[in-house]
Amino acid sequence: MSSRRKVLLKVIILGDSGNQYKATIGADFLTKEVMVDDRLVTMQIWDTAGQERFQSLGVAFYRGADCCVLVFDVTMPNTFKTLDSWRDEFLIQASPRDPENFPFVVIGNKIDLDNRATVAKNALAQESEADNYNEFPTAITLNKQENTNSKGGCSC
Amino acid sequence: MDFHNTPEYKSLRSSVPLRKVVVEGNVEWSYYDAGPKTIHNPLVFLPPVSGTADIYFRQLLSLSATGCRAISVNHPVVWDVPSWCQSFHLFLNSLGIDRVHLFGASLGGFLAQKFAEFSGNGRRVRSLILCNAFNDTDVFDQTSACSSFWAVPAVVLKKLVMGTFETMNMDGSMVAAADFMVQKLDALSQQELASRLTLNCVSCYVEPQNVQVLSSDVTLMSVFDQHALSNSVQNEMSKLYPEAKKALLKTGGNFPYLSRSDEVNLYIQVHLQKYADTVYSATEPRQFLPPPSNPSTSSSKPSTSAAILTDSDSDSDNDVEPSAKTNTPVAASVPERPVTSKQQSQVLLEQGLLEDSLPAEQELQMSPMHETAAAAAAAGADDL
Repeated sequence: MSSRRKVLLKVIILGDSGNQYKATIGADFLTKEVMVDDRLVTMQIWDTAGQERFQSLGVAFYRGADCCVLVFDVTMPNTFKTLDSWRDEFLIQASPRDPENFPFVVIGNKIDLDNRATVAKNALAQESEADNYNEFPTAITLNKQENTNSKGGCSC
Repeated sequence: MDFHNTPEYKSLRSSVPLRKVVVEGNVEWSYYDAGPKTIHNPLVFLPPVSGTADIYFRQLLSLSATGCRAISVNHPVVWDVPSWCQSFHLFLNSLGIDRVHLFGASLGGFLAQKFAEFSGNGRRVRSLILCNAFNDTDVFDQTSACSSFWAVPAVVLKKLVMGTFETMNMDGSMVAAADFMVQKLDALSQQELASRLTLNCVSCYVEPQNVQVLSSDVTLMSVFDQHALSNSVQNEMSKLYPEAKKALLKTGGNFPYLSRSDEVNLYIQVHLQKYADTVYSATEPRQFLPPPSNPSTSSSKPSTSAAILTDSDSDSDNDVEPSAKTNTPVAASVPERPVTSKQQSQVLLEQGLLEDSLPAEQELQMSPMHETAAAAAAAGADDL
């Protein structure tokens, strides 16, 4: 184990959905180890409170990020609209070396809430707008992500 | 970059006095105590073999600015682990401290675990943050030699410690951190160093069943680049605390609390937030206060840092003298520094040259500024 080359990946989850953390910092992290080929990859996943308050975390929070996950709530269309500003915020704070090709992942959250189907439909309609993202070379996926607090998801 | 010349370091030395207390058995503890004294469950920092209490200046400043009571201690001269634990127990009693959150690096981390074990099932230790720590002194392979450390000249002991300092693949702030630690090592007396090395190497290990109860209250902090301890030690620690949070840093070397202080501070804050709303909170607002004066952390922050400033300002005048007088001849070189830097700052104040002290105070109140400054410094260093 120890002789195997280890890799640390820092993933940051941003967006207006997600749990409200009571505490002052508004962020928490967890680690997950996965095997990719013969390499042990340790994912360090930072989840945020989804509110502006966590901006007090500062640059240390964003520094060295390898991937940014943008999460929206399919039952709340507004959370999708704000993703652009979250992405910009990330690029400013993290200032990655190659912002043009920095990997972003977009995730639709709470797809399982059928009782709010109408709102969900609206939000899903906006998925087509996601194509706009193709103007930027970022990856768009809507899928189930076990590591997040998504209650469900769809893939397309 | 010399950490001694950073505004942060000067700010700590000019605003927080080095206090001393002698506990039963004539064991002397010296420490910095930053943040609101009303908190009885502070975060206590334990240095590694080479360090003194001030190596945590970046943590003390930025955490106390957020309303956290942070204490950093110097290890006293004791020669075995049970004596250290007993003496630390008495030290906490003398400060009126109930339970503590411990941050320990290397030897400090080992002693933090032993103290948790000593005090029994979290009765005294509420949580642990272990940075590049170990759970068994066997990893150093010095158990046979350590019985004679007390008689070995300081020069030889220092070489023994410096042999573990890596110098490969280091960036600017990591080099500065190592330089800083070498200076701290130089300042230690033979007795201090020999006793720490004895604690570090005497055959002793953490018994898993005794610390199991703390498993979910542990944050294991480690770096992915080179450091003195091997990966197998990290794996051992992970096994010992299966439920621990793993605070990983991509780089940082042996002394991430100096070289990557903003990230380390972030991890500490995340660690402590779990206790923020409990009676064991290391951070204001306190639970024992009458309910009306309740939360709203954002509004209480400025007043907190103001309280720290006034408190420490008024204290420092009283404390300079005792700390100077209690110098033992052996340890003369260590406590001299606080006195000189303090005198300097007083001279500056008298002359009306407030540039040195005023920005320092302002920075206490605006910790984000610290972070950006440190980040900028680190980024600059990365470019090099």
